[in-house]
Amino acid sequence: MPSTDKAIEELTGIQSVDIEAALDPAEPDGVYRDSRECAALALLSADTKLLLSPPTPRPKKG
Amino acid sequence: MEQSGTSALLQGAVQDLSSDVVSALRGGDHVRVAGTGAVDGLAGGLAVAAVRVLGADLLLPHILSRTPAAPEALTVFRQTVEAFPPRADAAPIVVWSHWAMSRTLRRLDAPQAGSPAGDEGAEPEAGWLDEATWPFLTHQLAVLAPLAVPGEDCAVARVARSRPVDLARGFVRAVRRRDWQQAAGAGRWLTLLDGVPDTLGLETGLDFVELMGGSDPRVALQVEAARAMRWTGAFV
Repeated sequence: MPSTDKAIEELTGIQSVDIEAALDPAEPDGVYRDSRECAALALLSADTKLLLSPPTPRPKKG
Repeated sequence: MEQSGTSALLQGAVQDLSSDVVSALRGGDHVRVAGTGAVDGLAGGLAVAAVRVLGADLLLPHILSRTPAAPEALTVFRQTVEAFPPRADAAPIVVWSHWAMSRTLRRLDAPQAGSPAGDEGAEPEAGWLDEATWPFLTHQLAVLAPLAVPGEDCAVARVARSRPVDLARGFVRAVRRRDWQQAAGAGRWLTLLDGVPDTLGLETGLDFVELMGGSDPRVALQVEAARAMRWTGAFV
């Protein structure tokens, strides 16, 4: 392990695995908008239909 | 997801550094790189680890404005590149992040024999993106947003250029999921790409991302980077 890396680990407890985890994060769970945020978006995108259209309906199977 | 104390500490330091970069992008000033004056103190050591996590974006203001970085910032950046080489079994994102730092160093630092700045640095492979679904592609590209730099080509940038519509879909998905960091990173890539659907409303979308997520300096950094690139009118 390079000396600088070792010094950092000793001083801060930060290990390579912490750094690699920060560099390669898993995708967080999605949290969807509430109506207040939708209203803010509508104000921002008055001239377009940006992001406001609902997902395209898909036929149900079975 | 709950973070360990160490991870939270590191993320806080990354946010502090990101704030410095945002200030530099907005004001055209030097990146200050607060707390990295020495690596032999707790704050210094933590900040150097944060430099590795923030990666090439630390010196982005100087890349975009074509101005020299402060010698202290460049020294810390070089030390970080040398101190944190990717392991042989590191994930592609970790390898590419390190390669991006080396590339930035080559552009801003005078080459020195035996130093990362002097190495040509063989480009890593991007094969893990070949069959990537559009959500996965967007997530990976957003994490690798420091590679989205005008006038710089690499295998990851070529993948992005080949899939602008998929990336646009991923941008919308990220906004819907309130994943502001992913949305901002994807938006930065889209700013540089041809073939992005006009109906996406990218500029307005980035405004929205900033409105909702801009309190996180890492999000603000990507939005500011996208704006700076748009103003320069540069393309990958």
